[in-house]
Amino acid sequence: MRYFAQRFLQLVVVFLIVTFVTMVAIQAASKDPARDLAGPLNSTEARVEEIRKHYHLDRAYPIRYAYWLKNLVTVDLGNSPTLGASVRTLVGQRAPITLLLGLYSIVLALAISLPVAVYAAYRRDGPFDRFISGATFAAVSLPNIILAVLLGYFFATRWRIFPYAASKIWPWDNPGEHFKNVALPTVTLAVGLVAIFVRLLRSDLVNTLQSDFIVMARAKGLSPARILWRHALRSSLFSLMTSVALQFGGILGGAVVAEQIFALPGMGLLLFQAVQQKDLLVVQACAALFALAVVIINFAVDMLYAVVDPRIRHARALG
Amino acid sequence: MSDTVIEIPSRPNIITSLVRRIPPLRKWKFGLVLSVSYIVVLTFLAVFANVLPFVRRYNVLPKGAEARRLASYRGKPSSEYWFGNDKLGRDTFARSVYAAQKTLTIGLASIVAALVIGGLLGMLAGYYRGWYDRVLSVIFDVLLAFPAIVLALIVVGRFFQGGRLNLGVFEMDKRFFGVIVVLTLLSIAPLARIVRAQTLSLSQREYVLAARGLGASSWRILVREILPNLLPAMFSVAFTGLAVLLVAEGGLAFLGFSVQLPFPTWGFMINEARSDLTKGGGWAVFFPCVLLFLTVLAFNVIGDRVARRFDIREATL
Repeated sequence: MRYFAQRFLQLVVVFLIVTFVTMVAIQAASKDPARDLAGPLNSTEARVEEIRKHYHLDRAYPIRYAYWLKNLVTVDLGNSPTLGASVRTLVGQRAPITLLLGLYSIVLALAISLPVAVYAAYRRDGPFDRFISGATFAAVSLPNIILAVLLGYFFATRWRIFPYAASKIWPWDNPGEHFKNVALPTVTLAVGLVAIFVRLLRSDLVNTLQSDFIVMARAKGLSPARILWRHALRSSLFSLMTSVALQFGGILGGAVVAEQIFALPGMGLLLFQAVQQKDLLVVQACAALFALAVVIINFAVDMLYAVVDPRIRHARALG
Repeated sequence: MSDTVIEIPSRPNIITSLVRRIPPLRKWKFGLVLSVSYIVVLTFLAVFANVLPFVRRYNVLPKGAEARRLASYRGKPSSEYWFGNDKLGRDTFARSVYAAQKTLTIGLASIVAALVIGGLLGMLAGYYRGWYDRVLSVIFDVLLAFPAIVLALIVVGRFFQGGRLNLGVFEMDKRFFGVIVVLTLLSIAPLARIVRAQTLSLSQREYVLAARGLGASSWRILVREILPNLLPAMFSVAFTGLAVLLVAEGGLAFLGFSVQLPFPTWGFMINEARSDLTKGGGWAVFFPCVLLFLTVLAFNVIGDRVARRFDIREATL
């Protein structure tokens, strides 16, 4: 229990530090935050002063931060001058897209990598295993920008199978169009994931297949399929699950490039545009959300470890 | 009583003890040979780009009759322009070589800086544990939870906007330095975590206990007992990390947070020419893409080989 409390405290501290540093850094980076927040159009002197008062920009950073935290709790994070909407609405519109994108790429990657890894481990050092080993190595080394440019050129510009400038269509409105829109960014993110998952699961499976209970299962006369999918896979899934969780956190932060190239209006694109247009409150909100996602996922992974392996929670609580 | 001389072996220094620990390369793998030679050739080109005769025309815009003649090339590779030229008629090969110079310098500088800082912090956290570990872990978590693009905005967008940076001994482009700072900050935490985990297990080993029993100071233990055993893993991580950083630099270049002209990187070149893909600019995108991919692949192959040679499993980023 002490370990849980310790980790939770650390989570809160990390979140506070990240949001505080973000706030100070981007507001200090701006020449006059109030003028940026007033927007480029209606920036009369009186309006700027009003904004300065409203967002407490004339106060010291810790006080500003306290007000910001209060606003965060009440989910009222102010308005974006450039996009003409409240930060809450913007985030509410954009966040589900990135979440879906992350979810799709993880599901796609798992659907491909599970059978591939199982078969590669089953026929270890065979031709298929060697081919997969080489292919995943190449895929790990393929920068996502190259993949995105190639996919965009061939599938969107040349063959026109998928749209380039993706628009926002919800899956419950029009599933076909929705999946067409997110297909290319999903594949961009999934290729690297497939490679990581296959390599991880294959090496774990190879280790598991050498253990005694597999020999036992084989001696009992169980079919190879049953041994692979029921016995070996289940006990090899642990590090894969960890990796899935951590990669999901990585995707939420790393979707910027994919969303920017395919013009998919998710959180990454929102953050990118906000950064370019000095939309300080949106940047702060996005950074806070990303940090929150990463921190919570790390916490969940730690807890998962601790629940499964009691040695960890004792060792770390002592250390 | 015979005169026995007890010979006290002199301690070899870190480098020789490390070199002695490298198992001999019995079989040079094909992939490794290919990767190393590719990197050597690339480094040679990058280092001597300024003096090599065949990479002259860097950033030279063709004029007059030359420009008209180039228009008929439509950017295709030829005996004169090996990688073709971009829409402005600039030599893609020469630009790629100069970009190699910038890209490799950025990657190398960031990974070395990150290894030194992350290695030191990781060793402190893993060896002293307790409060050191707790405080440093929070710092690592903060670095990991920071969105890369916000970091890039703050560092490159504000503190290293433009102009020259004068550090007394040497002078460089401010943005160039800013990119290195961003990539270093991004890679400190993962590297420090690897080093911390390794230090944690190494400091429980018998020879460390023995050294402590003999009254060695903590610094001596860290530098003479633990560091030499960390070096193989750090060496392997340096290559894989370099590969990751090259990709990350490409991403930054795509978002407009990398270097500025007249110093392109490969990511910059890809981003610059990708809007002309349909207008015959394919070659200007193709060659930087191939170079970037091959370089990342080569560093991954080398890192993988080093890791296997030393039997390191933790050293994956």
